[in-house]
Amino acid sequence: MRRSTAAAVGTLTGAALIIGVRLSVSAPVVPSAAPPVVDLANSGQDADPTPSGTASKKPTTKPTTKPAEDADDDAADEGNDDASGEAGGSGLTDGIFKGAAAKNVYGSIQVSIKVENGKITAADATYPVTGDSATINPPAISTLNEATVKAQSADVDAVSGATFTSESYVKSLQAAIDQANA
Amino acid sequence: MGTVVSIDLADALPPPALRTMVDDVCAWLHEVDRRFSTYRDDSEVCRFRRREIALAECSTDMRHVLDACADLWRDTDGYFDAYATGPLDPSGYVKGWSVEVASARLAAAGSVHHCVNAGGDIRARGLSGSGAPWRVGIRHPWEADKLSWVLAVSDQAVATSGTYERGDHVFNPRTGKPAQGLRSVTVVGPDLALADAYATAALAMGEPGIAWLAKLAADGYDSAVVTDDRRAFSSAGLPAAV
Repeated sequence: MRRSTAAAVGTLTGAALIIGVRLSVSAPVVPSAAPPVVDLANSGQDADPTPSGTASKKPTTKPTTKPAEDADDDAADEGNDDASGEAGGSGLTDGIFKGAAAKNVYGSIQVSIKVENGKITAADATYPVTGDSATINPPAISTLNEATVKAQSADVDAVSGATFTSESYVKSLQAAIDQANA
Repeated sequence: MGTVVSIDLADALPPPALRTMVDDVCAWLHEVDRRFSTYRDDSEVCRFRRREIALAECSTDMRHVLDACADLWRDTDGYFDAYATGPLDPSGYVKGWSVEVASARLAAAGSVHHCVNAGGDIRARGLSGSGAPWRVGIRHPWEADKLSWVLAVSDQAVATSGTYERGDHVFNPRTGKPAQGLRSVTVVGPDLALADAYATAALAMGEPGIAWLAKLAADGYDSAVVTDDRRAFSSAGLPAAV
Protein backbone atom coordinates (compact mmCIF):
# COMPACT_ATOMS: atom_id res chain seq x y z
CA MET A 1 0.00 0.00 0.00
CA ARG A 2 2.82 2.29 -0.64
CA ARG A 3 1.42 5.50 -1.95
CA SER A 4 2.78 7.93 -4.36
CA THR A 5 1.92 11.53 -4.16
CA ALA A 6 2.63 11.86 -7.87
CA ALA A 7 -0.68 10.17 -8.57
CA ALA A 8 -2.45 12.61 -6.31
CA VAL A 9 -0.93 15.52 -8.16
CA GLY A 10 -2.15 14.11 -11.44
CA THR A 11 -5.70 14.01 -10.23
CA LEU A 12 -5.88 17.25 -8.34
CA THR A 13 -3.85 19.90 -10.06
CA GLY A 14 -5.85 22.58 -11.65
CA ALA A 15 -6.83 26.15 -11.10
CA ALA A 16 -10.11 24.99 -9.63
CA LEU A 17 -8.35 24.01 -6.46
CA ILE A 18 -6.87 27.40 -5.75
CA ILE A 19 -8.65 29.18 -2.98
CA GLY A 20 -8.73 32.30 -1.15
CA VAL A 21 -10.07 33.29 2.16
CA ARG A 22 -9.58 36.99 2.21
CA LEU A 23 -9.28 38.70 5.42
CA SER A 24 -9.66 42.39 5.78
CA VAL A 25 -9.89 43.06 9.48
CA SER A 26 -7.57 45.51 11.12
CA ALA A 27 -6.35 44.52 14.52
CA PRO A 28 -7.99 46.37 17.37
CA VAL A 29 -6.03 49.44 18.32
CA VAL A 30 -4.79 49.47 21.88
CA PRO A 31 -4.34 53.00 23.07
CA SER A 32 -0.88 53.24 24.45
CA ALA A 33 -0.50 56.95 25.06
CA ALA A 34 0.50 58.07 28.51
CA PRO A 35 -2.26 59.65 30.53
CA PRO A 36 -2.59 63.35 29.69
CA VAL A 37 -0.56 65.65 31.87
CA VAL A 38 -2.67 67.97 33.92
CA ASP A 39 -1.28 71.45 33.88
CA LEU A 40 -3.10 73.99 35.98
CA ALA A 41 -0.48 76.68 35.53
CA ASN A 42 -2.42 78.28 32.71
CA SER A 43 -1.74 81.73 33.88
CA GLY A 44 1.95 81.29 33.54
CA GLN A 45 2.47 81.80 37.25
CA ASP A 46 2.70 79.30 39.98
CA ALA A 47 4.20 76.80 37.63
CA ASP A 48 6.52 75.67 40.40
CA PRO A 49 4.79 73.01 42.48
CA THR A 50 6.48 74.16 45.64
CA PRO A 51 4.57 76.93 47.32
CA SER A 52 6.11 80.36 47.20
CA GLY A 53 5.31 82.82 49.89
CA THR A 54 5.93 85.92 47.85
CA ALA A 55 3.84 84.81 44.90
CA SER A 56 0.79 84.49 46.97
CA LYS A 57 0.88 88.14 47.85
CA LYS A 58 0.45 89.34 44.30
CA PRO A 59 -2.73 91.17 43.56
CA THR A 60 -5.40 89.06 41.92
CA THR A 61 -5.22 90.53 38.49
CA LYS A 62 -4.67 87.22 36.83
CA PRO A 63 -7.77 85.42 35.69
CA THR A 64 -8.79 82.73 38.01
CA THR A 65 -9.83 79.45 36.61
CA LYS A 66 -13.21 78.16 37.60
CA PRO A 67 -13.16 77.07 41.17
CA ALA A 68 -13.82 73.43 41.65
CA GLU A 69 -15.80 73.63 44.81
CA ASP A 70 -16.62 70.00 44.99
CA ALA A 71 -13.01 69.12 44.96
CA ASP A 72 -12.25 71.37 47.85
CA ASP A 73 -12.82 68.90 50.60
CA ASP A 74 -10.96 66.03 49.05
CA ALA A 75 -8.23 67.93 47.30
CA ALA A 76 -7.51 70.05 50.31
CA ASP A 77 -6.27 67.04 52.20
CA GLU A 78 -4.10 65.83 49.38
CA GLY A 79 -2.57 69.11 48.42
CA ASN A 80 -2.10 70.57 51.79
CA ASP A 81 1.51 69.75 52.41
CA ASP A 82 2.22 72.94 54.15
CA ALA A 83 -0.26 74.17 56.66
CA SER A 84 1.24 77.58 56.91
CA GLY A 85 -1.13 79.79 55.00
CA GLU A 86 0.00 83.09 53.71
CA ALA A 87 -2.97 84.94 52.45
CA GLY A 88 -6.51 83.80 52.93
CA GLY A 89 -7.94 82.28 56.00
CA SER A 90 -8.35 78.71 54.87
CA GLY A 91 -4.81 77.84 55.66
CA LEU A 92 -3.96 76.64 52.17
CA THR A 93 -0.67 77.57 50.67
CA ASP A 94 -0.85 78.97 47.19
CA GLY A 95 0.54 76.96 44.37
CA ILE A 96 -0.18 73.88 42.34
CA PHE A 97 -0.20 70.62 44.18
CA LYS A 98 -0.36 67.09 42.95
CA GLY A 99 -1.78 64.38 45.11
CA ALA A 100 -0.27 60.96 45.36
CA ALA A 101 -1.20 58.86 42.38
CA ALA A 102 -3.84 56.32 43.30
CA LYS A 103 -3.70 53.05 41.42
CA ASN A 104 -6.62 50.85 40.73
CA VAL A 105 -7.23 48.06 38.26
CA TYR A 106 -7.83 50.47 35.45
CA GLY A 107 -4.70 52.55 35.83
CA SER A 108 -3.50 55.35 38.02
CA ILE A 109 -5.33 58.52 38.86
CA GLN A 110 -3.72 61.66 40.09
CA VAL A 111 -5.44 64.80 41.25
CA SER A 112 -3.93 68.24 40.97
CA ILE A 113 -5.24 71.39 42.59
CA LYS A 114 -4.36 75.01 42.18
CA VAL A 115 -4.51 77.24 45.16
CA GLU A 116 -4.72 80.98 44.79
CA ASN A 117 -5.14 83.33 47.65
CA GLY A 118 -5.63 80.45 49.93
CA LYS A 119 -8.52 79.11 47.90
CA ILE A 120 -8.64 76.19 45.54
CA THR A 121 -9.38 77.71 42.21
CA ALA A 122 -8.88 74.75 39.98
CA ALA A 123 -8.71 71.01 40.22
CA ASP A 124 -8.28 68.29 37.71
CA ALA A 125 -7.30 64.68 37.53
CA THR A 126 -5.51 62.41 35.17
CA TYR A 127 -7.43 59.39 34.10
CA PRO A 128 -6.40 55.99 32.76
CA VAL A 129 -6.44 55.64 28.98
CA THR A 130 -6.01 51.92 28.78
CA GLY A 131 -8.72 49.93 30.42
CA ASP A 132 -8.09 46.43 31.62
CA SER A 133 -10.16 44.90 28.90
CA ALA A 134 -8.27 46.72 26.21
CA THR A 135 -5.03 45.08 27.23
CA ILE A 136 -6.16 41.51 27.64
CA ASN A 137 -7.54 40.66 24.27
CA PRO A 138 -5.19 42.26 21.78
CA PRO A 139 -2.09 40.43 23.03
CA ALA A 140 -3.99 37.15 22.87
CA ILE A 141 -5.29 37.85 19.40
CA SER A 142 -1.96 39.12 18.24
CA THR A 143 -0.50 35.66 18.69
CA LEU A 144 -3.21 34.28 16.48
CA ASN A 145 -2.28 36.33 13.50
CA GLU A 146 -4.54 37.29 10.74
CA ALA A 147 -3.68 35.30 7.72
CA THR A 148 -3.93 36.22 4.14
CA VAL A 149 -4.42 32.80 2.76
CA LYS A 150 -2.25 32.35 -0.25
CA ALA A 151 -3.27 30.31 -3.16
CA GLN A 152 -2.53 26.71 -2.32
CA SER A 153 -1.36 24.07 -4.67
CA ALA A 154 -3.36 20.92 -4.81
CA ASP A 155 -0.49 18.67 -3.91
CA VAL A 156 -1.73 17.24 -0.62
CA ASP A 157 -1.69 13.82 0.95
CA ALA A 158 -4.79 14.27 3.05
CA VAL A 159 -7.55 16.76 3.78
CA SER A 160 -8.71 17.81 7.22
CA GLY A 161 -12.22 19.12 7.44
CA ALA A 162 -15.30 19.00 9.58
CA THR A 163 -16.40 15.41 10.06
CA PHE A 164 -17.85 14.39 6.77
CA THR A 165 -20.67 11.98 6.36
CA SER A 166 -20.26 8.94 4.17
CA GLU A 167 -22.22 10.70 1.47
CA SER A 168 -20.14 13.83 1.36
CA TYR A 169 -16.94 11.81 1.55
CA VAL A 170 -17.70 10.39 -1.85
CA LYS A 171 -17.50 13.82 -3.39
CA SER A 172 -14.64 15.01 -1.27
CA LEU A 173 -11.04 15.78 -2.04
CA GLN A 174 -10.00 13.03 0.32
CA ALA A 175 -11.88 10.51 -1.79
CA ALA A 176 -10.14 11.76 -4.89
CA ILE A 177 -6.80 11.34 -3.18
CA ASP A 178 -7.67 7.86 -2.00
CA GLN A 179 -8.85 6.78 -5.43
CA ALA A 180 -5.76 8.14 -7.07
CA ASN A 181 -3.56 6.18 -4.72
CA ALA A 182 -5.49 2.95 -4.55
CA MET B 1 -20.44 5.50 13.03
CA GLY B 2 -20.56 6.20 9.32
CA THR B 3 -17.06 7.60 9.30
CA VAL B 4 -14.74 6.84 6.43
CA VAL B 5 -11.16 6.11 7.37
CA SER B 6 -8.20 6.54 5.03
CA ILE B 7 -4.99 4.82 6.05
CA ASP B 8 -1.76 5.74 4.30
CA LEU B 9 1.29 3.69 5.22
CA ALA B 10 4.55 4.95 3.77
CA ASP B 11 6.91 2.43 5.37
CA ALA B 12 9.26 0.41 3.25
CA LEU B 13 7.80 -2.84 4.54
CA PRO B 14 6.58 -5.90 2.68
CA PRO B 15 2.95 -5.60 1.61
CA PRO B 16 1.72 -8.49 3.79
CA ALA B 17 3.04 -6.70 6.87
CA LEU B 18 1.36 -3.50 5.78
CA ARG B 19 -1.89 -5.32 5.19
CA THR B 20 -1.76 -6.82 8.67
CA MET B 21 -1.31 -3.37 10.12
CA VAL B 22 -4.31 -2.03 8.20
CA ASP B 23 -6.42 -4.95 9.37
CA ASP B 24 -5.40 -4.24 12.96
CA VAL B 25 -6.45 -0.61 12.67
CA CYS B 26 -9.81 -1.61 11.26
CA ALA B 27 -10.32 -4.15 14.03
CA TRP B 28 -9.47 -1.50 16.61
CA LEU B 29 -11.90 1.01 15.14
CA HIS B 30 -14.66 -1.60 15.09
CA GLU B 31 -13.93 -2.36 18.74
CA VAL B 32 -14.24 1.35 19.52
CA ASP B 33 -17.56 1.45 17.71
CA ARG B 34 -18.92 -1.52 19.65
CA ARG B 35 -17.93 0.05 22.92
CA PHE B 36 -18.74 3.71 22.36
CA SER B 37 -21.43 3.97 19.73
CA THR B 38 -24.50 5.70 21.07
CA TYR B 39 -26.43 4.15 18.18
CA ARG B 40 -25.91 0.62 19.44
CA ASP B 41 -28.14 -0.30 22.35
CA ASP B 42 -25.73 -2.96 23.53
CA SER B 43 -22.66 -0.73 23.53
CA GLU B 44 -20.87 -0.21 26.79
CA VAL B 45 -21.66 3.49 26.77
CA CYS B 46 -25.39 2.83 26.40
CA ARG B 47 -25.35 0.21 29.14
CA PHE B 48 -23.47 2.64 31.35
CA ARG B 49 -26.04 5.33 30.58
CA ARG B 50 -28.84 3.02 31.62
CA ARG B 51 -26.92 2.24 34.79
CA GLU B 52 -26.73 -1.43 33.91
CA ILE B 53 -23.06 -1.32 34.80
CA ALA B 54 -21.32 0.73 37.44
CA LEU B 55 -18.27 2.84 36.75
CA ALA B 56 -16.03 0.39 38.59
CA GLU B 57 -17.22 -2.33 36.24
CA CYS B 58 -16.46 -0.39 33.12
CA SER B 59 -13.58 -1.17 30.84
CA THR B 60 -10.25 0.57 31.13
CA ASP B 61 -10.93 2.42 27.92
CA MET B 62 -14.32 3.62 29.09
CA ARG B 63 -12.90 4.92 32.34
CA HIS B 64 -10.09 6.65 30.48
CA VAL B 65 -12.57 8.33 28.15
CA LEU B 66 -14.75 9.50 31.03
CA ASP B 67 -11.72 10.88 32.87
CA ALA B 68 -10.55 12.69 29.77
CA CYS B 69 -13.99 14.18 29.15
CA ALA B 70 -14.07 15.47 32.74
CA ASP B 71 -10.65 17.08 32.32
CA LEU B 72 -11.69 18.66 29.05
CA TRP B 73 -14.89 20.00 30.53
CA ARG B 74 -12.79 21.77 33.09
CA ASP B 75 -10.04 22.90 30.72
CA THR B 76 -12.49 24.34 28.19
CA ASP B 77 -14.56 26.12 30.81
CA GLY B 78 -17.52 23.89 30.07
CA TYR B 79 -17.50 24.37 26.31
CA PHE B 80 -16.55 20.74 25.79
CA ASP B 81 -19.26 18.81 27.54
CA ALA B 82 -19.92 15.09 27.19
CA TYR B 83 -23.34 15.72 28.72
CA ALA B 84 -24.23 18.66 26.47
CA THR B 85 -27.15 16.85 24.87
CA GLY B 86 -28.39 15.39 28.12
CA PRO B 87 -27.33 11.77 28.33
CA LEU B 88 -23.64 10.94 28.31
CA ASP B 89 -22.16 11.15 24.82
CA PRO B 90 -18.37 11.08 24.72
CA SER B 91 -18.27 10.86 20.93
CA GLY B 92 -16.53 14.21 20.57
CA TYR B 93 -13.57 12.81 22.46
CA VAL B 94 -13.76 9.24 21.21
CA LYS B 95 -13.52 10.34 17.60
CA GLY B 96 -10.03 11.79 17.89
CA TRP B 97 -8.88 9.42 20.61
CA SER B 98 -9.62 6.32 18.57
CA VAL B 99 -7.38 7.54 15.76
CA GLU B 100 -4.67 8.64 18.19
CA VAL B 101 -4.65 5.11 19.58
CA ALA B 102 -4.75 3.62 16.09
CA SER B 103 -1.61 5.55 15.22
CA ALA B 104 0.07 4.43 18.43
CA ARG B 105 -0.77 0.82 17.61
CA LEU B 106 0.68 1.23 14.12
CA ALA B 107 3.84 2.68 15.60
CA ALA B 108 4.07 -0.19 18.06
CA ALA B 109 3.69 -2.62 15.16
CA GLY B 110 6.60 -1.00 13.36
CA SER B 111 5.05 1.69 11.17
CA VAL B 112 7.14 4.83 11.48
CA HIS B 113 5.63 6.65 8.53
CA HIS B 114 1.88 6.84 8.25
CA CYS B 115 -1.10 9.13 8.00
CA VAL B 116 -4.53 8.11 9.24
CA ASN B 117 -7.56 10.23 8.36
CA ALA B 118 -10.85 9.38 10.01
CA GLY B 119 -13.63 11.70 8.93
CA GLY B 120 -11.32 14.69 8.72
CA ASP B 121 -9.34 13.99 11.91
CA ILE B 122 -5.76 13.23 10.97
CA ARG B 123 -2.82 11.72 12.79
CA ALA B 124 0.49 11.75 10.94
CA ARG B 125 3.82 10.20 11.77
CA GLY B 126 7.16 10.45 10.01
CA LEU B 127 7.27 11.31 6.35
CA SER B 128 5.10 10.69 3.33
CA GLY B 129 6.07 8.51 0.39
CA SER B 130 7.85 11.45 -1.18
CA GLY B 131 10.21 11.69 1.77
CA ALA B 132 8.82 15.00 2.95
CA PRO B 133 6.46 15.82 5.82
CA TRP B 134 2.85 14.89 5.17
CA ARG B 135 1.02 17.60 3.29
CA VAL B 136 -2.37 18.10 4.89
CA GLY B 137 -4.84 20.48 3.37
CA ILE B 138 -7.58 22.17 5.37
CA ARG B 139 -10.86 22.09 3.56
CA HIS B 140 -12.19 25.46 2.51
CA PRO B 141 -15.18 26.24 4.72
CA TRP B 142 -17.42 27.14 1.81
CA GLU B 143 -16.10 25.29 -1.19
CA ALA B 144 -15.76 21.55 -0.81
CA ASP B 145 -13.23 21.14 -3.58
CA LYS B 146 -10.88 23.86 -2.36
CA LEU B 147 -8.36 24.30 0.44
CA SER B 148 -7.81 27.24 2.73
CA TRP B 149 -4.43 26.16 4.10
CA VAL B 150 -1.85 23.49 3.36
CA LEU B 151 0.13 22.24 6.33
CA ALA B 152 3.33 20.22 6.49
CA VAL B 153 3.15 17.86 9.45
CA SER B 154 5.39 15.08 10.62
CA ASP B 155 4.49 13.74 14.07
CA GLN B 156 1.35 15.73 14.67
CA ALA B 157 -2.41 15.58 14.69
CA VAL B 158 -4.75 17.83 12.71
CA ALA B 159 -8.37 18.17 13.73
CA THR B 160 -11.03 20.40 12.24
CA SER B 161 -14.42 21.30 13.62
CA GLY B 162 -16.85 23.17 11.43
CA THR B 163 -20.44 24.02 10.76
CA TYR B 164 -20.38 23.45 7.02
CA GLU B 165 -20.76 19.70 6.98
CA ARG B 166 -23.30 18.63 9.55
CA GLY B 167 -24.75 22.08 10.13
CA ASP B 168 -25.59 23.22 13.63
CA HIS B 169 -24.39 20.19 15.49
CA VAL B 170 -22.26 22.14 17.94
CA PHE B 171 -24.05 24.09 20.66
CA ASN B 172 -22.90 26.94 22.85
CA PRO B 173 -23.61 25.76 26.41
CA ARG B 174 -24.01 29.33 27.63
CA THR B 175 -26.76 30.25 25.20
CA GLY B 176 -28.20 26.81 24.58
CA LYS B 177 -28.28 27.71 20.91
CA PRO B 178 -26.18 26.55 17.99
CA ALA B 179 -22.68 27.99 18.05
CA GLN B 180 -22.21 31.13 15.99
CA GLY B 181 -19.31 33.20 14.81
CA LEU B 182 -16.81 30.62 13.67
CA ARG B 183 -17.25 28.57 10.54
CA SER B 184 -14.18 26.36 10.80
CA VAL B 185 -11.60 25.71 13.52
CA THR B 186 -8.50 23.60 12.92
CA VAL B 187 -6.14 22.63 15.71
CA VAL B 188 -2.70 21.10 15.15
CA GLY B 189 -0.80 19.46 17.99
CA PRO B 190 0.70 16.33 19.51
CA ASP B 191 -2.51 14.57 20.58
CA LEU B 192 -5.46 14.14 18.21
CA ALA B 193 -8.01 13.57 20.98
CA LEU B 194 -7.16 16.91 22.57
CA ALA B 195 -6.84 18.72 19.24
CA ASP B 196 -10.30 17.50 18.27
CA ALA B 197 -11.86 18.49 21.59
CA TYR B 198 -10.18 21.89 21.54
CA ALA B 199 -11.41 22.56 18.02
CA THR B 200 -14.96 21.65 18.98
CA ALA B 201 -14.84 23.74 22.16
CA ALA B 202 -13.50 26.77 20.29
CA LEU B 203 -16.24 26.42 17.69
CA ALA B 204 -18.81 26.39 20.49
CA MET B 205 -17.34 29.56 21.98
CA GLY B 206 -17.81 31.59 18.85
CA GLU B 207 -15.52 34.55 18.27
CA PRO B 208 -14.10 34.54 21.81
CA GLY B 209 -12.76 31.13 20.87
CA ILE B 210 -10.07 32.84 18.83
CA ALA B 211 -8.44 34.36 21.90
CA TRP B 212 -8.87 31.08 23.77
CA LEU B 213 -7.12 29.17 20.99
CA ALA B 214 -4.26 31.65 21.04
CA LYS B 215 -3.44 30.56 24.58
CA LEU B 216 -3.10 26.92 23.51
CA ALA B 217 -0.08 27.75 21.42
CA ALA B 218 2.03 27.73 24.58
CA ASP B 219 1.08 24.06 25.07
CA GLY B 220 2.06 23.15 21.54
CA TYR B 221 -1.36 23.43 19.91
CA ASP B 222 -1.53 25.75 16.93
CA SER B 223 -4.71 26.74 15.16
CA ALA B 224 -6.31 28.10 12.03
CA VAL B 225 -9.74 29.68 12.17
CA VAL B 226 -12.23 31.04 9.67
CA THR B 227 -15.10 33.16 10.94
CA ASP B 228 -18.64 33.21 9.59
CA ASP B 229 -17.84 36.51 7.88
CA ARG B 230 -14.82 35.11 6.11
CA ARG B 231 -12.00 36.44 8.25
CA ALA B 232 -9.07 34.06 8.67
CA PHE B 233 -6.77 33.78 11.69
CA SER B 234 -3.85 31.50 12.35
CA SER B 235 -1.30 31.10 15.09
CA ALA B 236 2.30 32.04 14.44
CA GLY B 237 3.49 28.47 14.84
CA LEU B 238 1.01 26.89 12.45
CA PRO B 239 3.09 24.49 10.33
CA ALA B 240 2.03 25.92 7.01
CA ALA B 241 3.61 24.36 3.97
CA VAL B 242 3.35 27.54 1.95
